[in-house]
Amino acid sequence: MVVPFFALSAGCGGGGGDNPAPAPATAAASNVMAITVNGALCSDSSYLNKPCVSVTVCNPDSSICRTIPDIIVDTGSYGLRIFKEAMPGLTLPQVASGSGSLAQCIQFADESSVWGPVSWADVKMGGEPAVRVPIQVIDSTFGTRPSACANADPNVATAGLSGILGIGVAIEDCGPACVTNPGIGIYYRCTGTSCQGTTVPLASQVQNPVARLPQDNNGILVQLPAVPAGGVVSSSGSIIFGIGTQANNNPVSKTVFPTTLFGDFSTIYKGVNGPSFLDTGSNGLFFPNEAPALPLCPSPNTAWYCPPATQALSATTVGNFGEPSANIPFNVSNFLTLVQSPNNVFSDIAGPSTFGFDWGLPFFMGREVFFGINGRPSVIGTGPYVAY
Amino acid sequence: MKLPTSTIFLCLGLLALSLLGARQARATLGEGTDSIVRDKKALSAVKRATTSFAKYSVQEIASDATAVREFITPSGVVFAVAWNGLVHPDLSTLLGSYADEYKSAKRQLPRQHGKRRSRVQSDRMVVETWGHMGNLQGRAYLPALVPDGVKTDEIH
Repeated sequence: MVVPFFALSAGCGGGGGDNPAPAPATAAASNVMAITVNGALCSDSSYLNKPCVSVTVCNPDSSICRTIPDIIVDTGSYGLRIFKEAMPGLTLPQVASGSGSLAQCIQFADESSVWGPVSWADVKMGGEPAVRVPIQVIDSTFGTRPSACANADPNVATAGLSGILGIGVAIEDCGPACVTNPGIGIYYRCTGTSCQGTTVPLASQVQNPVARLPQDNNGILVQLPAVPAGGVVSSSGSIIFGIGTQANNNPVSKTVFPTTLFGDFSTIYKGVNGPSFLDTGSNGLFFPNEAPALPLCPSPNTAWYCPPATQALSATTVGNFGEPSANIPFNVSNFLTLVQSPNNVFSDIAGPSTFGFDWGLPFFMGREVFFGINGRPSVIGTGPYVAY
Repeated sequence: MKLPTSTIFLCLGLLALSLLGARQARATLGEGTDSIVRDKKALSAVKRATTSFAKYSVQEIASDATAVREFITPSGVVFAVAWNGLVHPDLSTLLGSYADEYKSAKRQLPRQHGKRRSRVQSDRMVVETWGHMGNLQGRAYLPALVPDGVKTDEIH
């Protein structure tokens, strides 16, 4: 049973740019947002390797704020989306679209989807000032869902999370295609309960709140501790905002890998070159099961590998334009053996993929990883890039 | 299992076209390739290159949302469709006569959290998806119709 934890934030004075929150006592830490993998910021029933943060969301008039935990940090998406049931009492104004208001259908790669209105909110992450951005209020009962969202997640329990904080390399969740083409299938203009496909300007699209910070807005650093063989019950790490903007986000020792506009690059595994991405929202490493194949776990765990003994493997990540490249060693252990322990956080769980290499949360354990936002300069180049 | 060729062609052709605009007019089961050409125009989709390989050809068509590749046998049967783009196709309504079989197989799969992929296998069809926001990918194919010697890895 998911037990969301809601707290009325007494200290939420951040009502947008005119009235920023007071600076915290430790100025050096103002660009830090805590992560727990499982642990205190996740709901009790969380799935394995779930990276949680809490985000404070306020009505734009600052009348009410709520600090909402159990939101996963996701470098594979862009923008904040939170279930309506996780933000009781907030009255976020919908983003206007012509004479109606904006809603959206977001499809995920596992064929799940979320639907709901796009609303203005003041969003506070870590010690940074609040930023006013369009967010998605996930609400499957809103208006009339398009067929692409016919199976939209109805609640927190089904989705396994209260919200998703997308802070990958892109700024908007759709981009230019949705500015000019009303038929993309992501944005809808709703009048009453009727919703029709619509164009939407970039500024009205749900967007990566990091890109709207007054400073530290050129990307993020993901810091998670190494996890020993056998796993741990939970772990704690940080999102550091900005790249080369503070003493705590210096990237100069890292290798920079240019990516596509959505953060993709290449990975060569067992001689096969395929697309890949770095994704905190994936709870394992997922890659094509090239020969000699790893055994899958028995049903219902066929999404995971179950080798009889831990396998030491490696793959080569390659920047979007063919360079640079880096060898990445990793381990794959028997999923079923590991999950018999009381632990929830594992660096060596992996499963099959059809199309490419999804470097999920284990990639980040014990490795500092930067994500450079599209078009934003930094001391190691202009985004989009990843660096580690 | 022997499948009626016309059914497979029409179902997958329908799927391919529907990827480009679910709300617009659709090709209809029972119609032939004329309806495909007509819909391409109606959907403002652009036909891109047709690439020939030893055992099949690939015809790509694209809209602003999604690029679609149809895999066609030398005898003109579409045995697979692959896509990538900003959205997935609406498989539940667009697989034609295979839709119910697909839905039924999908319902039996437990929800897997933390995944960026899915694989739904029914009696006659495999549907796989992968990717993340901005780059959603997938494919649907009929294993019985894949030409001998063609690896499923080639369908992407």
